[in-house]
Amino acid sequence: MTRRANVHAPELACVPLVGWRIVADPSVLDHVRWPKGSMAVRISPDDVFLIGAAEPSVTADAHAIVTPEHGFAGIDLSAAEVIAIAEQHIEWELPSQLPALAQGQVAGVPAKLVRHADGSALLLVACAASNELVDRLNR
Amino acid sequence: MSRVVYDQTPIEFVEGDTLAVAALRNGRHPARGGTLCLAGDCGNCVAIVDGVPWVRTCQTAARPGTVVRRHPSAGHPSPGGPESHAHVAVRHRRADHVVIGNGVGGAAAAAQERAAGPDVLVLDAGDGNEVIGIFDGPTVVVRTADGIDQLHAHHITLATGAAEIHPVCPGNMLAGIYTPKAATALRNAGVDLGRVVTVGAELALLVATADGDRVAAVELADGTRRDCDSVIVELGSSPRDVLARMAPMVPVSVVGSASTPHALPAAPTVGIVCPCGKITVEDLDRVWQKGFCELELVKRASLTGVGTCQGGVCMPHLRAFVADRAGTEPQPFTARPAARQLTLGEAAAGYHIDTFRRTPLHAEHVALGATLDRFGGWFRPWHYGDPVAEYWAVREAVSLGDVSTLGKMIVSGPDVIEMLERLYPNNVHDIKVGRARYVINLNERGHILDDGMILRDDDNRFTLTFTSGGASTAEMWVRDWIETWGLRVHVLDRTVSHAAINVTGPLAAELLGRAGVADGERPGFLQHRRLTVAGVPCHVMRLSFTGEASFELHHQIDRSVELWQALMHLGAPLGIKPHGLQALFGLRCEKGHIIVGQDTELDSSPRRVNMDWAVKFDKPAFIGRDALLRTAPLPDRRRLFGFTMPGPAPLEGSVIRVGGEVVGHVTSSWDSPLLGHAVLLGWQKRVPHVDVVEIDGREARVSRVPFYDAQGQRARA
Repeated sequence: MTRRANVHAPELACVPLVGWRIVADPSVLDHVRWPKGSMAVRISPDDVFLIGAAEPSVTADAHAIVTPEHGFAGIDLSAAEVIAIAEQHIEWELPSQLPALAQGQVAGVPAKLVRHADGSALLLVACAASNELVDRLNR
Repeated sequence: MSRVVYDQTPIEFVEGDTLAVAALRNGRHPARGGTLCLAGDCGNCVAIVDGVPWVRTCQTAARPGTVVRRHPSAGHPSPGGPESHAHVAVRHRRADHVVIGNGVGGAAAAAQERAAGPDVLVLDAGDGNEVIGIFDGPTVVVRTADGIDQLHAHHITLATGAAEIHPVCPGNMLAGIYTPKAATALRNAGVDLGRVVTVGAELALLVATADGDRVAAVELADGTRRDCDSVIVELGSSPRDVLARMAPMVPVSVVGSASTPHALPAAPTVGIVCPCGKITVEDLDRVWQKGFCELELVKRASLTGVGTCQGGVCMPHLRAFVADRAGTEPQPFTARPAARQLTLGEAAAGYHIDTFRRTPLHAEHVALGATLDRFGGWFRPWHYGDPVAEYWAVREAVSLGDVSTLGKMIVSGPDVIEMLERLYPNNVHDIKVGRARYVINLNERGHILDDGMILRDDDNRFTLTFTSGGASTAEMWVRDWIETWGLRVHVLDRTVSHAAINVTGPLAAELLGRAGVADGERPGFLQHRRLTVAGVPCHVMRLSFTGEASFELHHQIDRSVELWQALMHLGAPLGIKPHGLQALFGLRCEKGHIIVGQDTELDSSPRRVNMDWAVKFDKPAFIGRDALLRTAPLPDRRRLFGFTMPGPAPLEGSVIRVGGEVVGHVTSSWDSPLLGHAVLLGWQKRVPHVDVVEIDGREARVSRVPFYDAQGQRARA
């Protein structure tokens, strides 16, 4: 007896993402102009995951770490899917100001939610945990 | 009329009846006796409803076909069948303000809050929202017909009113006893209570019918006896504030009757105080006389208040008992969630077990028939069916091991050398570019936290590795110290972004050759280099945990399957086999390599595990240095030893004895196929350390470590 129907999302596809990881001085990253059409996810003040761009150059920080990043997978979510998943699988409050990046557990799996201005989102998860996340969202 | 089935007998009910009212309408007590409040405060109406035990029938609507069984007269009901374990979904909801209780006080509080503008949600059990607990957060957990709601609220107002006080006197577990509100509800429902007597504090005794089940009369303090079919006992009320006493860190506004101090009843002198546990005044006296003379202590020693009603019935009497004995009125005891009985499914709603990650080679392992186990937060191959054959492939041919789970980190910055010198107890500045060094990590007490490798990529950039189990805290540890020291170092954890395959065995170099790595390109022992292996860019690290020549191929995870399959194909003529953890642990045991956390304890210093060589005291500073210098002159009884004994190898954890006395335990154990006997690591924690010990009733001898290839020639080959 499952007393409430789950948000059932078998159509949700978790696909590996290819990008760049840039770790540099926060003040340097603050002033980098990322290529048009790319998505820069500022994971922390000194850490960016850049999707949809060629290898970036961060010359202002000679010690910056710039390396290909294949460790994330992503799930594209409509605004309605974000709300439905949040209701069942997210304990923390979604940011009200959009666009925004929120990080925390989704269905008990560490994840990052990149919410776009229209409320849709890219749900980022480590590839190593993507099977677990998809299983839990579809359970 | 519709019917429910009560103890295998169909009985009729009226629309709007609860199961308890339906039972009473048919002349039955919904459970086996005791005062009924019909307000959800007591546990005197709980029964097994549709297979789920401990259900309050006074709070459960009667529906056609519902099957009710009374709890057994002795003992507890079984935990329940599939109905109790079924998955229950959770829903997260948010509100600025939650008001619990929709009576007069609750409605007024809600109206007041709504006037102020915030989003207000009113919860009432009568509306199908039964609050079962308040947790830090604050989170209000609510049972609904659809599942469990977790309400994340900023403010909570409790307006749950007051609970009527039940009588404590001989006969108070008979059927036919009601609180005033329960009697009113029954009359309003058209239930015939027969001859009714209403009494108050003057009640002294409830007399049973001949069959002993129902009340037949009351006796008052003055000796008056009045015959009856039902008794209404009016003793006042006490605040229904259990939810306010649940989460001390959560500010809860309590309004209305729930906030009003109520006079305690007279101290009970005889009878059952706690109907849930059938605990009598005599029981309370017994624990009091043993010295449990505070409310919390009486509760814990007697278990009064820990039953179904969570103090709803017994709290006023228990407080009155303590007030009478101690002379001061105690405050109510702390309550803990849940305030209501839950099914296992409800208790687990929204809970997730820890995530166990999968390496990119997970499907390859499954396809090869691996038995996978959860280890260090990952699913890892324990073996592929024949761990001994895997062992021999490493010792005599070539083998692949999935070591993607190792912690991996890049550190870079102008202060990176200084940071690493402070972080590690061995020298870092003299590691040349392209070279690697084994390191241990210590805490401030000089105890071993983890171990791994330092690999120098260029002047100001290094790759660090950590154990699989230590990887999850490594980044936090490194970042914390960098911040503490105020050093300019960038950190990037690569643990889940890079995979790694260990190519190990005497034919490992030949396999790399077949994979396109020329003889002159291969890194030497404790060297590393970026090379293309079978078309895949790799950071090749020449290390050894198995005791044989080993090349760890670190690479982007999206190329892992391609690399693994190519190596397995190219290695087939060389007798290649993958090896799992079981073989790996045996291989490293023969070499005496410790596994941090298995062979070490929380307070294992380098000296205790014979690794003083990994500590350079001539350095001016490193984490743990002061503690190690302070303790170095002190005697230390604890020491990790290597042992050998005839097979079979004892279980890890086996006790080590000397002369019948326990001196330690076995930390690692392996039946060495090559050596033909068991090799062990284990502790001796008493002095004098001896050369011969007893394990599993058999003799084991201290042996030099490593047990295999003491000169390390094979790893360097």
